[in-house]
Amino acid sequence: MAALRQGDFAALQSLLKAPSKDAVRQLCRQCFSSPPAGLGPLAQRACLDLTAGPEEAEQLVSALHSLTRHVVYHGLTRAEDILSLFPENFHQNLKNLLTKIILENISAWRNEAQASQISLPRLVDMDWRVDIKTSSDSISRMAVPTCLLQLKIQEDVALCGNSPVVSALTVELSKETLDTMLEGLGRIRDQLSAVANK
Amino acid sequence: MLRLRRAPAPGPGPGGAGGAAAAAAAMGLLNFTQEPVPEAVSGDMHNLNQLSAQQFSALTEVLFRFLMEPKEVERFLTQLSDFATMNKISLGPLKNIVKSILLVPNGALKRNLSSEQVRADFIALGLSEEKASYFAEQWKVNSPTLTRLAVGQTLMINQLIDMEWKFGVTAGSSELEKVGSIFLQLKLVIKKGSQMENVYIELTLPQFYSFLHEMERVKTSLESFS
Repeated sequence: MAALRQGDFAALQSLLKAPSKDAVRQLCRQCFSSPPAGLGPLAQRACLDLTAGPEEAEQLVSALHSLTRHVVYHGLTRAEDILSLFPENFHQNLKNLLTKIILENISAWRNEAQASQISLPRLVDMDWRVDIKTSSDSISRMAVPTCLLQLKIQEDVALCGNSPVVSALTVELSKETLDTMLEGLGRIRDQLSAVANK
Repeated sequence: MLRLRRAPAPGPGPGGAGGAAAAAAAMGLLNFTQEPVPEAVSGDMHNLNQLSAQQFSALTEVLFRFLMEPKEVERFLTQLSDFATMNKISLGPLKNIVKSILLVPNGALKRNLSSEQVRADFIALGLSEEKASYFAEQWKVNSPTLTRLAVGQTLMINQLIDMEWKFGVTAGSSELEKVGSIFLQLKLVIKKGSQMENVYIELTLPQFYSFLHEMERVKTSLESFS
């Protein structure tokens, strides 16, 4: 996460050339969501939209990225906090517009940041079925219920980027295993309520 | 040393019982198997009949102990060898006899046979009524445990062996200075073929509650079928 630099605000002034408020809005969103590596292509498009030179576009895009990420990182939610980031002589209307856009998007951006956090592989879905085993090579007649659990697991989002790898794992549980598992899960639930009640 | 020898070829007298066994097997009258029984079996039964009630009882005990714990092969062989020495029987023939006897309980387990059926089979093979009844009695006592063992050996795909968990709070990240969200991490130990594999998963709190809810539904379902 890049830190806010003084030069960033100067670069932001290029937004004054934007065709509309919506264009600014869209650019803000794109700059926030893009990883640092994706800013290049974004700058190229900004070149065309804002009739700016390539260097200017790059600086603008980088500045917007830093600004939006900075606000989200520090969890700024009040207009005053965001307005105070801008230097004294910054264009008043542009400052207000940017603050408004940021406030509109802040909670969505926060969720996005949390969702793309590094983590262990995540559970995305789970399905189950109960079978009755009626026969096997070791015993020809029986009626043993068993559970098949399918877990859909997504690898770390940060590693996969736009094409998440989801693998399915099917696991078999006997009744005893399930009981033990439920015992463990129950204990987790109890501890969670204890923490929540503190 | 009393050498137990194979019985002579089937004919009138003691060999008659052997002939009956072979005939019974040929006609598919045995409960524990549909395949032809090896010829040696009738001879082995004949030799078994020579043992005293006490000796037969001791041998049966050794056999059932092995059936209950089939992995304890070393112990089983040692106990057989001790039996052989104590009763002045040669080990080689004893092992063959034991092999023949074990055919019945193994088949009986697969086919969920009752003790009457086991008794009938032993008699058809040539074992004395007294000994057949005794073995069948032991079978009755031990079969629930043996059945459970057999069920336990039934194939399981990717069996869940163990589950470890931890949960905590994410304090901050490179993108968010203060987070304060709860995460739950599970480690599942799964048996894939003969190897163990560890699978690590992370769940959010809502996912955890949903998972718990589903597992409780599974438990209800399993219980209704037990």
